[in-house]
Amino acid sequence: MTGQMRQQWLHGFLDLSLLALLADRRDYGLGLVERMSAAGFDEVPGGTLYPSLLRLEKQGLVRTEWEPSTSGPRRKYYELTAEGHRAAIERTQGWEDFRSTMDAVTAFTRAPIGEQLS
Amino acid sequence: MTSPHEWGARLTEHLTDAGIDAREAHRLAADSLAEAEDAGQDPAALYGPAVTYASTIAHTIRAATVGFAPLGRVRGPVVLRLSQVTKRYRRRTVLRGVDLTLCGGEVAAVVGANGSGKSTLLNICAGVTRATGGTVERSPRVGYAPQQHGVAPLLTAAEHFHLFGAVHGMSGRESEAIGAQLSQQLGWRPRPHVIAAHLSGGTQQKLNVVLSELSRPDLILLDEPYQGFDQDSYIDFWDQVYKWRDAGAGVLVVTHLLHDLERVDHLVELPRVDES
Repeated sequence: MTGQMRQQWLHGFLDLSLLALLADRRDYGLGLVERMSAAGFDEVPGGTLYPSLLRLEKQGLVRTEWEPSTSGPRRKYYELTAEGHRAAIERTQGWEDFRSTMDAVTAFTRAPIGEQLS
Repeated sequence: MTSPHEWGARLTEHLTDAGIDAREAHRLAADSLAEAEDAGQDPAALYGPAVTYASTIAHTIRAATVGFAPLGRVRGPVVLRLSQVTKRYRRRTVLRGVDLTLCGGEVAAVVGANGSGKSTLLNICAGVTRATGGTVERSPRVGYAPQQHGVAPLLTAAEHFHLFGAVHGMSGRESEAIGAQLSQQLGWRPRPHVIAAHLSGGTQQKLNVVLSELSRPDLILLDEPYQGFDQDSYIDFWDQVYKWRDAGAGVLVVTHLLHDLERVDHLVELPRVDES
């Protein structure tokens, strides 16, 4: 139940999460999955991640570059465009507004911090 | 077990089927394979089955392009005007005072319960059925794709193109070329010698829609297919509707399914017909 819910939520916020991670530094697909996991999300399946990256690319927010590797196969890197940096900031603002609205709506059902542990 | 190569070939094929340009489909498949190789994973394990993944990314690409379509739409002249259109069968009133003004570059959706007269209204707009009262004015260049009886079961797709092209004074070669091009836009490549009766329901509907567009009409009347063209690419139908709109046609769609109607310009809601 909770797992499914988290997955649905992540679906709605995946684009923003990727924009934010890429705003920090450019990365390749698997690197993004690892950073998402390190942040505490469940592992993002490739069938969800890559379409999201493709969408950002089609929207002109992300550009890609293939880089040859000395050891293994070539690697595709994703990087924000100037437009992508603007979108990352704008959407983060949107998320913050949404989060405070959500906090206000759930204020009544939120347990005080001391009680959450018991 | 699917080999990566085979998975890539299937992805390309399904993408092309979904109407993605062949060169882009090849590039997307090659990129996907290379990324899977770099991740050290089997593509089927990383992305899921080729058919599902193809439908997801085709949808992604279309949604991205549709979302970024030019906003300042040009509305053309009026292509259809209904004033107080009424239809009675004996004492039973099927349509009561329907009004609509549809311009080129606009979409109108007709909604209502089963038996509320949606198909009757479509037929009246097409001039196939006579209204009992009111007036209907329409552009002379009309494309019409009814839900049923739109195709001849024993003719092939190419024969349909010839026949319908001839009505508009097109040569056989011309109508066949345009028909093939329009079919491809719907992700369908008609095979020679296959008669319409042997096509799937969704493909018959595609043929129907291609025929309605063969003469480059400025008013297009459509009955939305119940299942969409293909079960998992339902969005294609509406994408096509908006492409016609952006090309300047006025489109009237009878819709049976509940979905996002926010983008249509006119909504004609037909009340349930009194059975009395």
